[in-house]
Parts: sequence; C-alpha cells; structure tokens
Amino acid sequence: METQLLNPFINSLINTFEMMMAMHPEPKDAQAKGNDTTHGDITGIVGFAEKNVIGSVAISFPMDVAIRLYNAMTGEAVSEISRDVEDSIGELCNIVAGGAKTVFAAQGLTFHISIPSVIVGRKHSITHKIETPVFVVPFGLEGMEFIMEISMKILDS
Amino acid sequence: MKVLVVDDSATMRRIIENNLRAAGYEDIVHAANGLEALSNMAGVELVLTDWNMPVMDGLSLVKEIRKNPAFSTVPIVMVTTEGAKEEVIEALKQGVNDYIVKPFNKQTLVEKVEKVIGG
Repeated sequence: METQLLNPFINSLINTFEMMMAMHPEPKDAQAKGNDTTHGDITGIVGFAEKNVIGSVAISFPMDVAIRLYNAMTGEAVSEISRDVEDSIGELCNIVAGGAKTVFAAQGLTFHISIPSVIVGRKHSITHKIETPVFVVPFGLEGMEFIMEISMKILDS
Repeated sequence: MKVLVVDDSATMRRIIENNLRAAGYEDIVHAANGLEALSNMAGVELVLTDWNMPVMDGLSLVKEIRKNPAFSTVPIVMVTTEGAKEEVIEALKQGVNDYIVKPFNKQTLVEKVEKVIGG
C-alpha cells in the first residue's frame, strides 16, 4: 500500500470534523500497524470494494472522545454511551470514507462503500481482511487522541 | 411545513432535525429507509433523503415518489456521501431538486432547503 493513498482519508476526516463539529484534528505520522488490537473503546469501520480496489477504514475513539463528538455533532449533551453515540461513530466513519471515495473517483478510481459497522469494548481487535499493510494515523484533538486505520489495495486489472 | 427526513443513521436524522428546528421548521417526521418513507408520505411537503440505505435506497425512493401522482411534485433534497459528479447527475436525472454532500454545515442545509421550497 502506497502511503499517498492515505491522504484522501486524512483530508476527508479533517474536513468532516471541521464542517460538522467545528473541531480541528491534527494528524501525526502514519505508522504500520503491528497487531490487531486497537487503542480505542469504540470503532466505526467501513469496507470498500470494486473490481480493481479493495480495502477498509476504521476510526477508533476513547469513549469520552466519542461522547464529546456526538454532543458536538447533534448539539445535545449526553454523558454516557448509548445506541445513538454508537450510531454516530458509524456515521462519522461513513462520511469520512465517502469523502475519500469522491476524491478517488475524480482520479478515476471508483468503488462502493459498505454500510458502517461499530465495535464497542476495551482493547477490541480490528482485523482488516486483505493482504496488504494496515496503516495507523494518530490524531490529536484538543488534548485528546484517536486513531484512523486504513488498509487499501489496488488490484491489477 | 411538514418535512420528512430519511436516513438509516439516527444521528444524521437528529442532526438534520435539530438544524431544521433551529431554523423554524417544527413539523418533522422520520424514516430509516425508503420503504418506511413511502408509508409516511401523507401530508409531506419536503423530503430530505440519504442515498445509501438498507431495504430501499434513496434513489429508488425518489423514483417511487416521482411516479406517484399524489407526491410527484414534492421537493426532494438528497443528503448523501455520494459526491462524484456522475452520481449527482444521476440523482438530478431521477428527479431530485437539490443535492447536499455530507459533511455539511447548518448554513448549507438551511440554504438548500429554502431554495427548493422557494423561500
């Protein structure tokens, strides 16, 4: 996987946070993922595929960050995890993947994205089911941290 | 004005509803997919719909609304992550009045809504 494939996802995430939550996440250096365990408590994951491309993107948050994002998105003031907070993380991942998809489509690389899934639990595992390296991009956000994982493979046509 | 918001994400339905309420729209109903939307069309004067949803997607919903004489002139705004030019053209061809690509902000949402209802 070439690291420039990460940029549409990183830029889409920043744009999504700025547009929908007036927040400004700061990406740090991407690194190859060492094992399947993630750092977050709640993860949204979206797969994408077409005949010449396959991959997945996952965004993983500590629970307090997820709740804060939900409140920023909806204008509400919840203090506990709920089905609504879980749904919001799936939708956030969906929007980030959709933004990247639009950028790739303009470059002639089209694919469909799946309906998002959400995983909840401390130190859960995320396995990206394709044989290509997974990159982890940490983000800083107002003193907090979260990560995005990207796995993408362009197939020979 | 009765507004129908169609999205499989409860969060997105809530974001749209909260933004519309803040802009003065109070009669807002929801549906989680196109099929559910079709059964909630009575009295609806504006539809905002996602594209990718289970059961019945937004484009199929638009086609169903446009071929039903009772609802064929109801304004429809597509609110979706599908931002490629070809997809926008396809949605407009099927009868969508306007198109919002997620992510969006409150100002864009309200401006597009007011544009399609002639406000």
